[in-house]
Amino acid sequence: MRVHRTLALALAICAAAGAQVKDEDLRAGPGANWLTYAGSYSGQRHSPLRQITVANAGSLVPKWTYHIPKANGLRTSPIVYQGVMYVTDSNTMYALDARTGRQIWEYRDARAKKSGVNRGAAILGDKVYFVTADVHLVALDRRTGAVLWQTKYGDIDKGLFSTAAPLIAKDKVIVGVAGGDTGMRGYVAAISAHTGEERWRTYTIPAKGEPGSETWSDLHDWGGAATWLSGTFDPELNLLYWPTGNPWPDFYGGNRAGDNLYSCSVLALDLDTGKMKWYFQFTPHDTHDWDAQAWPVLVDLPYQGKPRKLMLYGNRNGFYYVLDRTNGQFLHATQLVDNVDWAAGIDAKGRPVLVPGKDPTPGGTRACPGVMGATNWPSPSFNPATGLLYIMTLEQCDVYTSSAKEPEPAKGFSGGGVGRSKEEPGQYVLRALEPTTGKRVWEYRMNGPVTAWPGTVSTAGGVIFSADDDGHLLALDARNGKVLWRYQLGEVIAASPITYAVDGKQYVSIASATAIWSFGLFEAQPPMSPPPVKVVR
Amino acid sequence: MRSLIWMRLAAGASLAAGVLAAADVHKPKAPHPAIGDPEAIEAGRQLFTSGCAGCHGLTGEGGRGPKLRDSGMWHSLDDEALFKIIKFGIPNTEMPGSHQPDEKVWQTTAFVKALGSPAIEAPPPGDIRHGEEIFWGKGGCGGCHGLRGKGGKAGPDLANVGGMRSAGVIRESIVDPDADATEAWRKVSLTLHDGSVREGLLRNRNNFSVQIQDAKGEIHLALASQIKSITLAKSSPMPGDYGKRLTRKELDDLVAFLSRQSVRPAESVLASAGR
Repeated sequence: MRVHRTLALALAICAAAGAQVKDEDLRAGPGANWLTYAGSYSGQRHSPLRQITVANAGSLVPKWTYHIPKANGLRTSPIVYQGVMYVTDSNTMYALDARTGRQIWEYRDARAKKSGVNRGAAILGDKVYFVTADVHLVALDRRTGAVLWQTKYGDIDKGLFSTAAPLIAKDKVIVGVAGGDTGMRGYVAAISAHTGEERWRTYTIPAKGEPGSETWSDLHDWGGAATWLSGTFDPELNLLYWPTGNPWPDFYGGNRAGDNLYSCSVLALDLDTGKMKWYFQFTPHDTHDWDAQAWPVLVDLPYQGKPRKLMLYGNRNGFYYVLDRTNGQFLHATQLVDNVDWAAGIDAKGRPVLVPGKDPTPGGTRACPGVMGATNWPSPSFNPATGLLYIMTLEQCDVYTSSAKEPEPAKGFSGGGVGRSKEEPGQYVLRALEPTTGKRVWEYRMNGPVTAWPGTVSTAGGVIFSADDDGHLLALDARNGKVLWRYQLGEVIAASPITYAVDGKQYVSIASATAIWSFGLFEAQPPMSPPPVKVVR
Repeated sequence: MRSLIWMRLAAGASLAAGVLAAADVHKPKAPHPAIGDPEAIEAGRQLFTSGCAGCHGLTGEGGRGPKLRDSGMWHSLDDEALFKIIKFGIPNTEMPGSHQPDEKVWQTTAFVKALGSPAIEAPPPGDIRHGEEIFWGKGGCGGCHGLRGKGGKAGPDLANVGGMRSAGVIRESIVDPDADATEAWRKVSLTLHDGSVREGLLRNRNNFSVQIQDAKGEIHLALASQIKSITLAKSSPMPGDYGKRLTRKELDDLVAFLSRQSVRPAESVLASAGR
């Protein structure tokens, strides 16, 4: 903290003079800055900041709010570099003074061909990056907001759109595509952070004749497996870990007999070439829209007495997995939520033991988890001090229906639908898990309309920040889940919080449906007058 | 029996479906050939000057009649509806119909559309290469303004100006830099309590903080508690005499060049054909 404070004070006035974000800054993980969607390559979403503690979290107060014009359902996770915060909305990025919430600049691509959710920005050198909804990667000067280049990396006429925060790894910007619920072919692409040229592209569905293509019938070009959430990266192994989405049509599998590789999987891709080193499929031949879009959290921990490079993976299909991230070896799985009835468990090879009669039918089949999954895009976090993984879960079941209609891509067809009983709305539960076993250590049950999907951030101060289903931002004791502090933001929260510091002061920030908020410890305002302004010719 | 709320899919699916449906509805149909055609726009400008400017202002700035330009309203104008209003007027209002031949009404429509459209969609005629020479040379624009990483950082970046602003607004910004009456980009000097001075261009301020950017583009953020006094220029640092420094043709060519600075190509058939 001493180092952070010194750094921050030096930057109190001159926020960003001449500095460049380097690869080693991204490797170092969060401190005063929060430089990537998940804070670090490992996806642990844990900050060493410790000014806000279990003892003083109760005196947190709002420092500022920035309302994003026309926003509706923000899911952006801010990044912060040297006192400047970058947030995104549909086809738009804002640079804000992270101490005051005042806008420094705005970049808007008003002529994009689509609009929609955007999950955040990325930063490297003197550039900040984000994607437009119509699948362009945009590079801006982080200081001025000037557009430096824009690269189209996908075609909306092929059912694609884009939502994910780009991931910077070394000199590449890694991006994905969305659209898997209405037919498309997913891929991960690496684009030069300097020039905008595409370096490689790895499809998530093999082309006809390639290994794995036999796990599909004829839907290789439209079978989904979207890549709408960014992944994590292990610089030592030089491997990217990228989650893939559901196969299409979502709720009818009759046209796609087989496991439908590499849908509902995590892919380990070589950063230099995009070549797949290994994959692990959580839900073969999914018919419940259980994308594997959740955050692959990378930790080095003893497993059965031996140090292992692990990947922790809460999955939408209701199970919690532990994998060896060097080779994809399945190590362990357990139920993430109580309501799981489509599989009796996970076998020794990591494959679900199916319960017959749980596929969608024309008349409807009740199955658990529900279509939103046992967890989803909200970020989990891992606190090395408590040794616990904090993950948002959803206890819910749905009635799934199917349609055997001939699949027609890019026409809004998903092969069926979902209904939900009013008597069974579901419930969000924030859970703290022992990472290598998935054993629950504590849980915080929420009450609300089941519309939220907030993520978490962990801090060295022993405080976990997350949000309730009713619009409250929460500070919880990382050890036991007790609520230390709460603040009502007045609207749905479906984004993940971050923490950063400026001038040695720690802030916690999150997006609500329409605004960005920042909180810090209470400080009395000394009496002040605005500085005099002299206007001269 | 359980009551069921039948929904479309969860978040991702419903979003996708909504967006795709919208895309289907808004498939662009081919515009009238006059729309986006520089020659038709110029002809329309002359018709507008004689027939419309009395109420709407020479550059659509409004007066007795409504303002007709709004750089933020891309896609807001329906060509056919605009044509009918110009030809037949609006009943029970002071807006009369021109009742001119369709060709002339379409020319006027093209000009009015250009007033509110990004310049790239209705680019004015001019020698684009000469305009580029003016930008980097005689005009000295590139000393302060950037284009895709080249040029200065002491003024707004112009790499997408043609995609964001109408040609009329671009021209106005050149000849009258203070027309928008904003404080942004004015020179500012902060004297801090420690005696040091920070100079730059204003990006934002209120009573409690100031955000400035220096000529190299670096951001400086200051809280009011750190500031002893602020000196702010009354007007834009951009010279206000470009209307005299440049000849009419040079100005036309510069506007033609800037109108084509866009991160996305034109959608208009004629504009994208390089007219």
